[in-house]
Amino acid sequence: MAHILLDNVGVAFSVRQHGRMTLKEFVVRGMFRRKVNPKIAVQALRDVNIDVRDGDRLGIIGHNGAGKSTLLKTIAGVYPPSAGRCVTQGRISSLFDVTLGFEPDATGWENIAYRGYLQGETPRTIAKRIDAIAEFTELGDRLGMPLRYYSTGMTVRLGFAIATSIEPEILIIDEILSAGDIGFQQKARERMESMIRTARVVVLASHDLPTLEGLCDKVMWMDHGTVRMYGPASEVIAAYSGRAPALAQAA
Amino acid sequence: MTAALEYCNEIWNKRYFWSSLVWVDLRRRYRRSWLGIGWSLMHPIIMTVVFCSVFCQLFGQDVRDYAPFVLSGLAFWNFISGVTGDGCQSFYASEHYIRQHPAPLAIYPLRTTLGMGLHFLMALCVLLVMVWAIRGPSNLATLWALVPALALLFMMGWSVAICLGVVNVVFPDMQHLVQVGLQVLFYTTPVFYSAKLLEGHGVDWLVRWNPLAAALDLIRDPILNARLPSAHAWGVAGLATMILGTIAAWILSRVERRLIFHL
Repeated sequence: MAHILLDNVGVAFSVRQHGRMTLKEFVVRGMFRRKVNPKIAVQALRDVNIDVRDGDRLGIIGHNGAGKSTLLKTIAGVYPPSAGRCVTQGRISSLFDVTLGFEPDATGWENIAYRGYLQGETPRTIAKRIDAIAEFTELGDRLGMPLRYYSTGMTVRLGFAIATSIEPEILIIDEILSAGDIGFQQKARERMESMIRTARVVVLASHDLPTLEGLCDKVMWMDHGTVRMYGPASEVIAAYSGRAPALAQAA
Repeated sequence: MTAALEYCNEIWNKRYFWSSLVWVDLRRRYRRSWLGIGWSLMHPIIMTVVFCSVFCQLFGQDVRDYAPFVLSGLAFWNFISGVTGDGCQSFYASEHYIRQHPAPLAIYPLRTTLGMGLHFLMALCVLLVMVWAIRGPSNLATLWALVPALALLFMMGWSVAICLGVVNVVFPDMQHLVQVGLQVLFYTTPVFYSAKLLEGHGVDWLVRWNPLAAALDLIRDPILNARLPSAHAWGVAGLATMILGTIAAWILSRVERRLIFHL
């Protein structure tokens, strides 16, 4: 069973006012007991509660900087919660940057393997999948070329094809990707949506409200690191879109 | 204890990922260079020629003894300066992975250490060929001692890379300090001079208790002198590796989850 449980989770970053502290500063500060470069705590998330299980599709909405990505990365295990607890059961696959792990000087084929290992594949499992991935990219012979000669669109196509070749238990998505030209975009969208349907649990952050409403059953509205509203997709999205223009005016 | 085993298991599970990183690093370093991987061998060989021409002239050393001696020292030193210098950068170099992909942090210093280790192995092959060409294969009976010696050296390098990598994330000027420290160590380790030169001058303790000198003996004795390394060398190098390994494990247990906030 796949399960994500966040219990009053808070994430705080501490940053220094003037960038990083050097060893020299550390020693000098120790000698004079004076705070030259104070720490500032940035509370990125506060009191977030999530409990989703098999079959749940959770959408996350909110303005830029509301804490959507931080929340996703906390669930994915990149950030440790500084308060509360975060427990997950099931293999987590996250789609943050589909081109992470690409090596410009290696060919498309080699990059499929590199990126595959990053996703937890082994040479054996990747060998089974590599033809299907290659076919999906529609790149043909160009897969034998070093990646540095690819256009941006081609690179994203390749990354997308590999990243979505998995069968995830828990799927974490930061913004639905649209890759390539119109034909490929349609195909990519279908692939993404079928993935979202087959995964056991999905957490999806997006600004694309109509799509979210179609794919998710619950939506969480994040605002300044806290949960502003949480409930059935249609209700929260209605409240959010009714409120969004007013906020924009106030700003 | 179970947590430590689980951690090692997790590292093992990611083996295809970090070994592909090591492979990519090697490719990236030598792409579009006509000598390719040979460049990593050129450095110790050229330095050996330089040291030989100076020392054999000045001190009347026999080239046939001195060339393998200094080549082994320089190859060893390349490894040490690599795991310390690049070790400092090991987390920064993998920052984009750490930010998106939860994995045991120790794999990133491991990537650095393995890359340096491969270069070291290649240099050792050159050294073996040189020794055999000069003296014939008289050392075959003792070469097996290289296996535990290299394993020990590898653990030492990995521990150092972990410690320095973490410290350098918290204090970014660490690497300058490390460069200075390396210079000092280079002259206090018998890389290009024989430890015998120090005897009777009251400074032989410097070499006797220097873990780097002990580790270097573990490499040199089986290859150059066709004898097994002394118990003293095993002891000093082994103890140093245990201490460094413990410190590295302790540091990792403290910062494993929180390092990302400092990056």
